Amino acid sequence: MRELLRLWRLFRPYRAWMLLGTLAAVLTLLANVTLMAAAGWFIAAMASAGAAGVAMNYFAPAALIRGSAIIRTAGRYGERLVNHEATFRLIASLRVWFYRHLEPLAPARLQQYHSGDILSRIRADIDALDNLYVRVLVPVVVALLSVTLFGVFLALHDPALALLGLVFLLLAGVALPWWAEARGRAPGQRLAEHEGALRTAVIDGVQGMAELTVYGATERQARRIEGLSEQLIADQARINSDQGLTQAAIGLCANLNLWLLLWLAIPLVRAEQLPPPDLAMLALFTLASFEAVAPLPHAFQLLGRSLAAARRLFAIVDTVPAIREPDGPSPRIERFDITFAGVGFSYPDAERPTLQGIDLQVPEGRRAAVVGATGSGKSTLFNLLLRFWSTDCGSIRVGGHDIRDIDSETLRRHIAVVSQHTHLFDATIRENLLVARPGATPLELEQACRVAQIHDFIASLPEGYDTWVGETGVRLSGGQGRRIAVARALLKDAPILLLDEPTEGLDAATERSLMAALDRLMQGRTVLLITHRPAGLDWVDQILVLDQGRERARGDASVIPEATAAALLELAPTRHDD
Amino acid sequence: MSVNAWLKSQRPLAGHALKGAIVLSLTHALLAVAQAWFLALILDAVIFGGAGLAEVGGWLGWLLALLALRAFITWLSERTAFTAAARVRAGLRDQVYRHLQRLGPAYLSGTRSGTLVETLTKGIDDLEGYYARFLPAMTLTMVLPLALLMVVLPLDWLSALAMLITAPMIPIFMILIGSGAEARNQRQWKQLARMSAHFLDVIQGLTTLKLFGASRREVEVIGRISDDYRASTMQVLRIAFLSSSVLEFFATVGIAIVAVFIGFRLYGVALPVPHWLSVPDIGFLQGLFVLMLAPEFYAPLRNMGTQYHARMAAVAAAEQLIEVLDTPPTITPGTARPTLPTPLGVRFAQVGFAYEPEREALHAIDLDIPPGARVALVGTSGAGKTTVVNLLLGFLQPSSGHILIGDTDLTTIDPAHWHAHLAWVPQQPRLFQGTIADNIRLGDPGADLEAVRRAARLARAADFIEALPRGYDHPVGERGTGLSGGQIQRIALARAFLRDAPLVILDEATANLDPESERLVQQGIDDLAHDRTLLVIAHRLATVRRADRILVLDQGRIVEQGDHHQLIAAAGLYARMTAAYGDAPALAGVTTEE
Repeated sequence: MRELLRLWRLFRPYRAWMLLGTLAAVLTLLANVTLMAAAGWFIAAMASAGAAGVAMNYFAPAALIRGSAIIRTAGRYGERLVNHEATFRLIASLRVWFYRHLEPLAPARLQQYHSGDILSRIRADIDALDNLYVRVLVPVVVALLSVTLFGVFLALHDPALALLGLVFLLLAGVALPWWAEARGRAPGQRLAEHEGALRTAVIDGVQGMAELTVYGATERQARRIEGLSEQLIADQARINSDQGLTQAAIGLCANLNLWLLLWLAIPLVRAEQLPPPDLAMLALFTLASFEAVAPLPHAFQLLGRSLAAARRLFAIVDTVPAIREPDGPSPRIERFDITFAGVGFSYPDAERPTLQGIDLQVPEGRRAAVVGATGSGKSTLFNLLLRFWSTDCGSIRVGGHDIRDIDSETLRRHIAVVSQHTHLFDATIRENLLVARPGATPLELEQACRVAQIHDFIASLPEGYDTWVGETGVRLSGGQGRRIAVARALLKDAPILLLDEPTEGLDAATERSLMAALDRLMQGRTVLLITHRPAGLDWVDQILVLDQGRERARGDASVIPEATAAALLELAPTRHDD
Repeated sequence: MSVNAWLKSQRPLAGHALKGAIVLSLTHALLAVAQAWFLALILDAVIFGGAGLAEVGGWLGWLLALLALRAFITWLSERTAFTAAARVRAGLRDQVYRHLQRLGPAYLSGTRSGTLVETLTKGIDDLEGYYARFLPAMTLTMVLPLALLMVVLPLDWLSALAMLITAPMIPIFMILIGSGAEARNQRQWKQLARMSAHFLDVIQGLTTLKLFGASRREVEVIGRISDDYRASTMQVLRIAFLSSSVLEFFATVGIAIVAVFIGFRLYGVALPVPHWLSVPDIGFLQGLFVLMLAPEFYAPLRNMGTQYHARMAAVAAAEQLIEVLDTPPTITPGTARPTLPTPLGVRFAQVGFAYEPEREALHAIDLDIPPGARVALVGTSGAGKTTVVNLLLGFLQPSSGHILIGDTDLTTIDPAHWHAHLAWVPQQPRLFQGTIADNIRLGDPGADLEAVRRAARLARAADFIEALPRGYDHPVGERGTGLSGGQIQRIALARAFLRDAPLVILDEATANLDPESERLVQQGIDDLAHDRTLLVIAHRLATVRRADRILVLDQGRIVEQGDHHQLIAAAGLYARMTAAYGDAPALAGVTTEE
């Protein structure tokens, strides 16, 4: 229930909307009940008067019927409009709220989540919260107000009838929802999880289709999706069956109430304590009054799903980012030298530290390389410098300022990265380039692409810069994607440049032209290169050799042979064995 | 086929449940007539007959029985309707996903997977309302009002006439208002799918956005997209709400007319009708009964109005489903399952391929991968290497020429049968949700842990896997959460080792590896090559020197083939590429080896 309080805080900005929506709903409900009760009374009274041959004023009740019919129709329209508008506004703001909390977590804290799972949270789980507002919050208030009024109305006729009505209304409006909530909790929780699992399986199945096909695993994936689909449906079926049950129970409550009312009221009519037309009125009133509580059991049944959704959202929102942004204003960075001093770092759950006692100084405008085998901690150095993670000990300084004192976004504004894996967004080439500099002119884009040696290729495409590149960049080869990344880095035009295996997996010609492009890119910038290949090492001023997170050697290129005699000389077999 | 017809044609998937649901809701409605009759009897007897509990006790008993029966039927019909829709949903999800599999990776590479994911999850769930509620409501609308007219007509033809005249107004106005809604609704659904696709893209690219300082900018984009979605949804809903209000209004007017006609006659006031029309007399019993039936008469029509947007949501979702289902596979899978020789040989005879007419990616190439040989395919990026691999994997079929396995044309072979003979390590392998062991077992789910370990050892992956806290049970996500590119590569390689296939295709298998790991993996590949046919696609020429045959691809043509020495001697493209790569790479200058 703690979740409900937290959710209420999120709902608070929409209080005025909710009030308006609730008022409209109450009005509509009362108009409907009035309409039914008045119509029942009217017919019976007219018949009685006709049979007795006495005159009666039928204009007033007719007007009441007309008025409530109009209010009912208009009120329902207004109520739906207001409540839906409010819900969608609320949901839109919740998505933004969720993304705001999600963004600082990337990439360090999101590693354990599949994108399908996160997608399910931002889509289905947030959508599930609308249930709380439209189906729980508003109807509960409406039911509270109207049931009170009904009780008063009935009490004016007969206290016993009022008691009877209240008992059944409470049965339908409190006991049933309570039962439904208890029954819905477990399947609701599972639904939230299975929806995420299904999305995950579908994403794997769609994006990984090629490998599944070759490895003959498509059938298994299809069955996995089918199985999840069935699990999902099984829980929905249980919820649905319960819902049918509560719906039947509501009907039964209303009708039993009516039945007992007749049982109690018929003797009253006989004893002339109750005018006969009032019996018709009370009968129809009773049936109509249950509309006030009818939506509640289903709403409370879905409460489990909504609260599970809320918990899944709060789980992300409450995750503490891997770094803490500084409280004070960020210092202005005026120089761009980089200093690692005694840097040590371990990933959570890791058995041994990834980095230990790393010292490295790259003066402004100079270039350094970090060389080492896979897993030696090279990429971690980048992750620390980019403030994706925070150092455990030691410090990293840029321009003399500890990067912990600099707002991470401000820091990254000064750093451009060319890495092996660049995400190409599901958009045009132009839009993918504009990510790096939103205001860039077409001419600037073209210049960057020329330097990155990719302009000619883009220009040769029928749609040029407006060519759509798939979400996984499938239509561009690895080398082309890498060159887009270089063009992005050029556009970003940052004083610090991080290169992560920039020529990995490229053929010789591409590698050479890319190196030429990088040479242009590196000019006048502070460059840090990480690599396990020799290419480009002759361009740097100093080299740090890492082995299992520790410094193995440092100096100019000449330190490599002795430092890595074991590893790098073994390069020979594939190169020198013929 | 129209979307409507398509939706209806899926009914058999629901089996008998759909008919059951319709029969149950019809029974439920007819029992309401009986209930109204007993209620009218009781009220009439009490109000006009001066009856007490003793006189009406029997009817009260009937009433109680009816109430219980109706409650039971309500529950049963809910369940049945759900089952009907659930069967359709499960059936369709399976059908659509399997169709995607037939369309294959070639189709998927040209679509937004985010949209497909939305269609397969939310889209299919949106069909629920159509089968569970709209279809039963529609059948009820066609049957129930007529049945009620039949009941009312002998009691009071004037009320029946009033109902008959007002009822058609409802569907007419609905259609008038609803016609504009359809297109809007369609647009709105597409927007929803786009929104989801955008979210997936942002989630998967969040780190890149962050690097460019664009991740906080995205807050506004997400706000705007969500708000646009709200605005367009409200456009659709406004129409839906308006139409149901109009409907409600007409239903109310209808009930009011019936009530006024009955009330005036009971009171004895002359009705404002032409005097040649002789108005039938009516008693309180009939009057009250007819009055209670009037709402039941309009109820199915009103209900249809409410379910109308269940139908619209279903229509929109169905359109996406039809789009997928109507896409014909670009390849016609073969059916033959011949016994293929081990190791396998492959021959391309005059194979040409064009992604689009006029833009040939391969020009009638001939190439030979002899059984048991180690063949390398090299060429600059864009030369057509990936196309050759996709043809060989059967994702594409040649536009001209033949790919021959022994002397069987590849297009005649059942793809699943063919794939069973392949192991493939793509350029950027994907890890699937599950443990590392699950991922290695991808091609052989029954393999025991010992076999998995052996494959991992051969791929030089065992050391780092065993160093993980949970070892082979370490859960991995789509991008190999916490694993480096080289480690993912080696897991994919272990997958290929475990597969134990006669033809192995390695697309840049040693990219992302440091020299030490590369050397180790290379040894693993040497082990793997034993008794197998190996096709290696390489950018870095150093890794292909020991190949028995090197095929040099340039602009969709095989320009050279031979072994390393022959090609160097020929002084062609290969020799030039080798020279360009630097036989004396930068580092070689500092290693004393050279």
